[in-house]
Amino acid sequence: MIGKLLQADFIKIKRKGFWLLSFLGAFGVVGLQIVNYSLRYDWLIQQSDDKWLYYLYNVHSFTAMALVLGIVILTSLIASVEDETNAWKQLIALPVSKMTVYLSKFTVLATLLFISSTLLAIFTFSYGLFLDLGEPVPYIEILKFSFYPYCASLPILAFHLWIATVSRNQGIPITFGVIGCIATYLAYVLPDWVIWKWPTLMNDWNDPLMNVWLGIGFGILLYFIGMFDFIRRDVK
Amino acid sequence: MEFIVQTNNLTKRFGKHTAVSAINLKIRKGEVYGFLGPNGAGKSTTIRMLLGLMKPTYGSIRIFNEDLNKNRIKILKQVGSLVENPSYYPHLTAYENLEALRKILGAPKSRIEEVLAIVRLSDVANKKVKSFSLGMKQRLGIAAALLHSPKLLILDEPTNGLDPNGIIEMRNLIRRLPKEYDMTVLISSHILSEIDQIATSVGVISKGSLIFQGPIEEMRKKANPKIRITVNEPQLAYQSLLANGIQVDSQNQHLYLSEQTDNEVAKAVKCLIKNDFSVYRVEEEKQSLEDIFLQMTKEGNLQ
Amino acid sequence: MLFSIMRSEWFKLQKSKVSSIIMLGPALGFIMGYLNNEPLQAQQINGWFIMFMYNSLVYGLLFLPLMTGVLAGTICRYEHQAGGWKQLLSMPVTRNKVFIAKYLILILLVLLIQFLYFSAMFVAGILKGIPDPFPLEIALKSILGGWIATFPLLALQLWMSIMWKSFAAPFTVNVIFTLPSIMAVNSETFGPIYPWAQPFLMMHNFTDNMDTLFYVPAEQVLTIVGGSFLLFFIGGLIYFRRKELF
Ligand SMILES: Nc1ncnc2c1ncn2[C@@H]1O[C@H](COP(=O)(O)OP(=O)(O)OP(=O)(O)O)[C@@H](O)[C@H]1O
Ligand SMILES: [Mg+2]
Repeated sequence: MIGKLLQADFIKIKRKGFWLLSFLGAFGVVGLQIVNYSLRYDWLIQQSDDKWLYYLYNVHSFTAMALVLGIVILTSLIASVEDETNAWKQLIALPVSKMTVYLSKFTVLATLLFISSTLLAIFTFSYGLFLDLGEPVPYIEILKFSFYPYCASLPILAFHLWIATVSRNQGIPITFGVIGCIATYLAYVLPDWVIWKWPTLMNDWNDPLMNVWLGIGFGILLYFIGMFDFIRRDVK
Repeated sequence: MEFIVQTNNLTKRFGKHTAVSAINLKIRKGEVYGFLGPNGAGKSTTIRMLLGLMKPTYGSIRIFNEDLNKNRIKILKQVGSLVENPSYYPHLTAYENLEALRKILGAPKSRIEEVLAIVRLSDVANKKVKSFSLGMKQRLGIAAALLHSPKLLILDEPTNGLDPNGIIEMRNLIRRLPKEYDMTVLISSHILSEIDQIATSVGVISKGSLIFQGPIEEMRKKANPKIRITVNEPQLAYQSLLANGIQVDSQNQHLYLSEQTDNEVAKAVKCLIKNDFSVYRVEEEKQSLEDIFLQMTKEGNLQ
Repeated sequence: MLFSIMRSEWFKLQKSKVSSIIMLGPALGFIMGYLNNEPLQAQQINGWFIMFMYNSLVYGLLFLPLMTGVLAGTICRYEHQAGGWKQLLSMPVTRNKVFIAKYLILILLVLLIQFLYFSAMFVAGILKGIPDPFPLEIALKSILGGWIATFPLLALQLWMSIMWKSFAAPFTVNVIFTLPSIMAVNSETFGPIYPWAQPFLMMHNFTDNMDTLFYVPAEQVLTIVGGSFLLFFIGGLIYFRRKELF
C-alpha cells in the first residue's frame, strides 16, 4: 500500500518546485561560501591550519538554518497541495488507512531532504576541491557534516509535518518556522533539550553523534504523536 | 432484503450543535437513492461519516453488510465518491489527476481513458485542471469516483455547476449505472425535481433528522389530488351543493370536492347542471413532489 | 473609500488571529532582553545599548524580514480562499486602492510591532534593573529606521503573496533573500546595498556615536530602501492590476 501511495505522492509534487527547492537548499548553503571565499579568499585561507575543516565549519554555519527553513517550506507546501481544493477528503475516502497517508507524506519529505543532504555533500566536496584546500581530503568529515544534521533534524520534520497537516491556516506552521529558525540561529545560548539546536550539532558533551541519536529517537516519537493526532481528527 | 448501506442511530454533534441526529438509512442493492434536504440539513455530514471522513458521535454504519469502523479499507475499495465541491490538483492535468488516484486504487491504466470518455473529457485530458470550468472540474470528480468501477457510488450534489445539458447527461449516466454495472447509487440534492426522474427511493432529511424514507411512489402518494370545479357563480353553486348534501370547499373562486370517487364527481356535476350553473372546467389538481418535499421539510422544522 | 477598504482588511485580519502574530515581536524582545546574560550594568556603555545591539542581531536580521512574509501572506489569505479575490474586486473598489489599502495596513502593523518590541525590551530592562537612563531618542530612531527598512520587503512580499496561493511559496522567496543578509552585514561593500540587510542596519544606526562596522550613511540606505521600495511596490501594483483568473 505504501508503495502505491508514494507513487501517487510523487506525481502530486510535480511542478510544485519540490525538486528545485531540494537542489536550491543544498546549493544555497555552499553558494554562500562560494561568495564568501570569492570575496575574501586570502583572509579566510589564513584563518586556520586545517583549511578543509575551517571550510567545513563555514559551510556548516548555514546548514542547520537552511535545513530548518527547508523543512518548514516543504512540509507547508506538501500540505497545501492537498489543502488547495481540500483533496484530503478525496484522498482519505480512498481505500487507504490514514496512517499510511501520513507515512507516505513523511517518507516523501524525508527522501527529498536526504537527496538535499547528499547534494550538500557533493557540492561541499566539489567546491572544496576547487579551492585547493590541500591533502588529505576529509571524506568522513564531509559526510558527517552533511548527514548528521539531517538525522538531527528529524524531530523538526516530524513536528512540522504534524502542524502543517492539521492546520487550516498555513500561516501557523510558517510562523512556527520563523521561531524555529531564530532558535537555530541562537543555538549556542540555548539549552540542549531544544530540538532546533540539534541540527547545529552543538551540545554540552561536544559529541555530534549524540544529536544524531537524539534526532532519530525523538523524530520517531514526534512522528507517532503527530500521526495519531492526524488519525484522530475528522478530515478537514 | 439485502441492504447495501444501513445506519443505526447515526448521530454527529459539533460541540452542542447536532448536525445529524439518530438517522437510520436503509439503501437496497441496485437502488438509486435520492438523499434530500434543504441547505444545512446534514446531508454532507452524513455522507462524510459514510466514507469514514468523520467519526460518528454515536451510532454505527454498515456497508456491504460490514462494519465501517472495522473494515473501512475493505469497504472503500468498492465505493466511489464525490463529496461537496470536487477536489483535484490544479497543477496537474486531468490525466495526471486520475493517474495519481489510479496508483492508489490499483485500477488498470486503460480505465483512465474509459472514465474520461464517460464524462466527455477525453479532449482535454492533457490540460491542467487549473484551466477547467466549474462543470469540467465537476465531471472530473465524477470520473474519479468511477475509476475503480465501484459497487456503491456516493455523490454529494453532483449536478452542482453543470449546465442543463450536463445535468441531463449526468441523469442518464446515473440511471444506467445500476443496470449496466450493477451499482447502487446514493445521490444527495436539495432540489427534488433534480432526482425525481432517476431516484427509485428517497430519504428526506431536515434539521438532522430523517423525516421520510421509502420508495419514491410512496412519496408521490402523499400528494393527495383534489377535484377542482370552475363555474360561473361559485358562491351560489357552493351553497347549492352543500344544500344537496355534497361535501365541498370554496377557495379562490373555485370549488374543491372532498370526495374524489367517480360517483361523487358525477353526482356533483349533475347537481350543478340541474341547478343551471355553467360548468366551465372539472379538473384534477395534483400537488407536485416539490410541494410535498417543501411541506415535509417545513413540518420537519416545526418538530 | 481607501479608509473603508482598510477597515474591512483590518476586520478580516482580526479573524486571522493577527494579534498573536503581532505579539511574537514583543515576546521575542522581552525574552531575549530578560534572559540575556551579558553584563548590562556597570559598564562604560549604556546598558540599554548592549541590549538593543544583541537583540537586533536576531530581531532585525531574521525576525523582522521573515515576519514581513507571514504578515503579507495573512493579509491575502481570505482572498485566496474560495474565490475571495473575485468577491473583493467585484465590489465598487479599484485595484489600486485595494493594493494600497493592504500595503498601508501592513506597514502600520510593522510600526505597531516595532513599538511593542521596544516597549517589551524596556520592561525587561527595568525588571533586570539596568541603572542607565533609557535612551529614548535612540530607541525612536531605531524603531522608525527598522520600520522604514521593511517598506520594500513588505511590498515584495505583498506582490508574491498575491501571486501565489500557498503560504510556503512567498515565504521561500523571503528565506532565499533573508538568509544571505547574515553574511552581507559582515561585508562593508555588500551590506549597505543589500535591501534585506537594511532592517538590521537601520536599527543599528543608533550606534552613530560609537565607532562600529555598521555605521551606514543615511543617504545611501535611503537610496537602497527607497529604490527597492519603488521597484517592488510598482512591480506588485502592475502585477495586481493585470492579474486575471482569480
Ligand atoms: N466541520 C463542521 N464544524 C461545525 N459544524 C459543521 C461542520 N460541518 C457541518 N457543520 C454543520 O452541520 C450542519 C449540517 O451541515 P451539512 O454540510 O451536512 O449540510 P448539507 O445538508 O450538506 O447542506 P447543503 O445542502 O448546504 O450542502 C450545518 O448546520 C453545518 O453548519
Ligand atoms: Mg452539502
